[in-house]
Amino acid sequence: MGSDGAGWVGKGLARKEDNRLLRGRGKFIDDIRLHDMLYLKFVRSPYAHARVTSLDTAAAEALPGVICTLTGAEIAHQTNPFIEIGPDPFARIAELVQVDYESLEVVVDGEEALKASVLLHEEAGTNRVWRGTFEYGDIEKAFREAAHIVRIDKMHFHRFSSTPLENNAVIGQWDAKDEHIYYWCNNSFPSFAMQFIAAHLGTPIDRIRVQTFDIGGSFGIKITSYPQMSVCALASKKAGGRPVKWIETRSEHNVSSAHGNERTFRDTRVALDKDGVIMAIDSRHIDDCGAYPRYEPLGCVIWAQVFPGVYRFRNARIDFSQAVTNKCPVGPNRGYSRMQHLWFLERVVDICAHQLGIPPDEMRLRNYIRPEEFPYTTPNGCVYDSGNYPKMLQVAKERIDWEDWKKKQAMARAEGRWLGIGIGTTLDSGTNNFGQSQIVNPHAPFSGNSQGANCKLDIYGEVVVAVGSCPQGQGHETTAAQVVADVLNIHPDMVTVRTGFDTERNVHTGASGTYASQFAVSGLSAVHGAARKLKSEMKQLAAFLLKTGEENLEFGMGQQGPQIRAKDTGSSVNYWQLANVVNVNSAVLPEELYELTLNCRYVWRAPFKVPDKEKKYGSLTLTYASQLHIAVVEIDRDTFIPHILEYVAVDDCGKVINPPIVEGQVYGATAHGIGAALMERCVYDAVGNMLTATFSDYTPITAVNIPNVRYAHMETPSPHSYNGAKGMGEGGAAPIHTISAALQDALFSSGIVVSDSFNNADTLYRAMVAKDIYQAGDLVKMEKRA
Amino acid sequence: MYPRAFSYHRASSLKDAATLLSQLGEGAKLLAGGQSLIPLMKLRFANPVHLVDLNFISGTSYIREQDGAFRFGPLTRHAEIEKSASVARVPILHDCAAGIADVQVRNRGTIGGSLAEADPSGDWATVLLTLSCEVRCAVQSSDRTLKLTEFLKDAFTTALAPDELVSEVIVKVPPENSGGAYIAFKRTAPVYPTASAAVQLTVEGDRCKDITIALGCVGLLPIRAREGEAALRGQQITPKLIASAADAARAAADPQSDMRGSADYKRQLVGALVKRATEAALRRARGQQVEVSHIYA
Repeated sequence: MGSDGAGWVGKGLARKEDNRLLRGRGKFIDDIRLHDMLYLKFVRSPYAHARVTSLDTAAAEALPGVICTLTGAEIAHQTNPFIEIGPDPFARIAELVQVDYESLEVVVDGEEALKASVLLHEEAGTNRVWRGTFEYGDIEKAFREAAHIVRIDKMHFHRFSSTPLENNAVIGQWDAKDEHIYYWCNNSFPSFAMQFIAAHLGTPIDRIRVQTFDIGGSFGIKITSYPQMSVCALASKKAGGRPVKWIETRSEHNVSSAHGNERTFRDTRVALDKDGVIMAIDSRHIDDCGAYPRYEPLGCVIWAQVFPGVYRFRNARIDFSQAVTNKCPVGPNRGYSRMQHLWFLERVVDICAHQLGIPPDEMRLRNYIRPEEFPYTTPNGCVYDSGNYPKMLQVAKERIDWEDWKKKQAMARAEGRWLGIGIGTTLDSGTNNFGQSQIVNPHAPFSGNSQGANCKLDIYGEVVVAVGSCPQGQGHETTAAQVVADVLNIHPDMVTVRTGFDTERNVHTGASGTYASQFAVSGLSAVHGAARKLKSEMKQLAAFLLKTGEENLEFGMGQQGPQIRAKDTGSSVNYWQLANVVNVNSAVLPEELYELTLNCRYVWRAPFKVPDKEKKYGSLTLTYASQLHIAVVEIDRDTFIPHILEYVAVDDCGKVINPPIVEGQVYGATAHGIGAALMERCVYDAVGNMLTATFSDYTPITAVNIPNVRYAHMETPSPHSYNGAKGMGEGGAAPIHTISAALQDALFSSGIVVSDSFNNADTLYRAMVAKDIYQAGDLVKMEKRA
Repeated sequence: MYPRAFSYHRASSLKDAATLLSQLGEGAKLLAGGQSLIPLMKLRFANPVHLVDLNFISGTSYIREQDGAFRFGPLTRHAEIEKSASVARVPILHDCAAGIADVQVRNRGTIGGSLAEADPSGDWATVLLTLSCEVRCAVQSSDRTLKLTEFLKDAFTTALAPDELVSEVIVKVPPENSGGAYIAFKRTAPVYPTASAAVQLTVEGDRCKDITIALGCVGLLPIRAREGEAALRGQQITPKLIASAADAARAAADPQSDMRGSADYKRQLVGALVKRATEAALRRARGQQVEVSHIYA
């Protein structure tokens, strides 16, 4: 890869964006006020499932200050039915709009929805969104030869959200003067949203300009192409081209943005040999995607990126279905669709270990993919790039002082205390192959993955980088500058990174955005490619100006800032001179250098193939970061409150670009996971009212709830990325299964099997006292053959 | 969300506020700290036509100690009570003030507003039930003093007439050999407790001379656990007796299932909290310095 390396990559450089963000100087959508701007308000249905029988907007339109209303019928008339549009979010303006509803029967459970007589979308004819069987190896043989068969009747992964600090926000303007639609928004996958909006509104995509600025968290939730974006443009059109702002309220966000996928695992059978090595898993999974498949049904295949988790078994069959229910639609949510599956696998491993009397650490060592097996091709054709799971376990055990805790646990148990130690091993698959969408929809026109970047010397010689990402706190300005600084051998402070997405920078591809744990791979590969392209042009130009050969040139710092020096003559040229010649003093250029622009666009493409749609086989993600967490949890015998006494998080995301950024991501993902495991869930009553629509009821995790997390990291460089880095950030929701495992360990001797991903004092009380959930006898059966 | 339109009135005195209340009628609401009212207005669950702001009246925020009692001005902020050195001598009052929600709420919220709101999940009513507490209520021309138990009528309902307001809260300082503690289980700092227990205990030698136990968030009003008190009153205190007081308290609770927990669980929890609060109260009554804090998820 040449002479890169002033050594900025890998350094714990303070973040360039922090000065702005920490001093309250960030620019968010609600900071933007445009001339003549109007505000949009949605009228929301008080019913989870209803038909609008009449609508009267006259009183609302008579209200002083109201410019217009927009009804579902008007929207349907002006848009292509390319996207499924439901009627309920599309009844407009506040309390004065008179709406009559005919309430309809409600379904709030995914399994029920598949059996229900009531149809949520009559035109679909079914509540099943998708069904497919993922089968590999020889299941029947494995079960025939098994020494033990463990059956688990039902497990459930609950619904929650990662609650970004900033809600969804968009300003839309349909400007008749230049026939453009302008968006200022915080969508974190804008290049995808544009493709839908252009088709939806029947507008050429070049006439849609989308800009993002600072974004207050997304965690996947903002990557959905929300229909509200189209509505803002239509409202602007009706209002004569005035910009229309919609800032989602917290209550709206909680009930109608996107929750994480809820999943039920049914009739699981596990075949094991006499030593507890898993030979096969056979299971039926039902995913609940809420009222509309919006980003879905992609989640029906995303989990298959980590099909066997960190384990070696080769035979498996998962019958996967997705159902609609009268709840908030789901969307990607930190650990999208994989965390549900990883939680399932970790529960299977722990339950089997307990059934067979094998310690959970030993059980894992017997089943982990071995370090010498990388790159490892999974039964469904994914290629795990690198990893060392046994070593991670060892590092985590050392960090937490495992032996000491085992002694303390024995003493605590002798005193009748409920103290458990749980292990969770997790994968964070990064840089996805959009070709997997063709497994759920063979006609989907998406595959591979790409990212664009531009690196230029501006007219006065400034080094400026633009990327098609839209960071929400991941530090892209800093890490992109580190990469460019290494290529040009200058200081990262000399590199300006244009943050946020802007179609008119013309660096994006159709896959640009910030999602799926990939910036360190796709984003930095694009930046690196663009910087190297620029460097190559600078070399050609400098060789001409310094009258020497390219091999004699040295990049570095001189008296006048960044420069290129000829080693043979000692003469040098600075960046201003290079840019000057190309941009405003071009008569000095010989014709053979006319093609130089010092403005270099580079598109990086992930080396993927379209997966085999029939066999559901192929490489679905490029890199696999791994996490190993251990939690020590004690359940108070009086209050039943689970307290985390010790917590360690070991993370391996290959080559680390900026250690404090990685560490921060690990803490954030760990906090999110602990919140999900112990505090946060979306609960609906039987008629579809969300009972946790406010933060008082939902209780997102806060500082007082987060234990002191011990962090350690390992580096197994990825052979799949130029820099050895792996995407990271989602953390695989590691704490959810780690805490389930610890609770399981604390209570297993009481005949408890933790079969739900959400646990709090109340559920533990029910399990231990009321005994109406988690009873091992009802949930788990074991058959011994040998 | 924005509240519905309302008229704003700035009262110049408590008397002026009472006058405004009687003139403006039922559509008027008093604004003290606003920590309950403003969120309810923003959600449009409360839609007052007139808002009478008490925050610009001077002399309504004070803590005075006279004749063996604390007198709290109606607009005394929780944070002022939390920081008061004299109040710290009655630890249960400090436990309460310091544990309400978060710093922002404590800086704005007031003791008078909290009692007048009579939210079944409010902290002050539960704690003050264990002490001797009176609430002064004023109309334009006169005032009256009610015992706290007379003042609190039902959930979100007090004895205040529509044109009447809280003008002072009077709390008798317990004797030297008395100690109290207030412990709640809260999932996060800003949310209301799942359940809470307040215990004030007076010792005489190694006996419990007197004890009051109040339970919060497990009924429409704070509940006195009288049978639990009877289990300890006049007795030599043992862990076994504390456990039976906790069991009796559990039976006195009348909780409802909600997102904070099931009714059965809350009953279990409140017993555990009574046990801990009693243990802490006992040590404090014996003159020990004991730090007490709420339990968080």
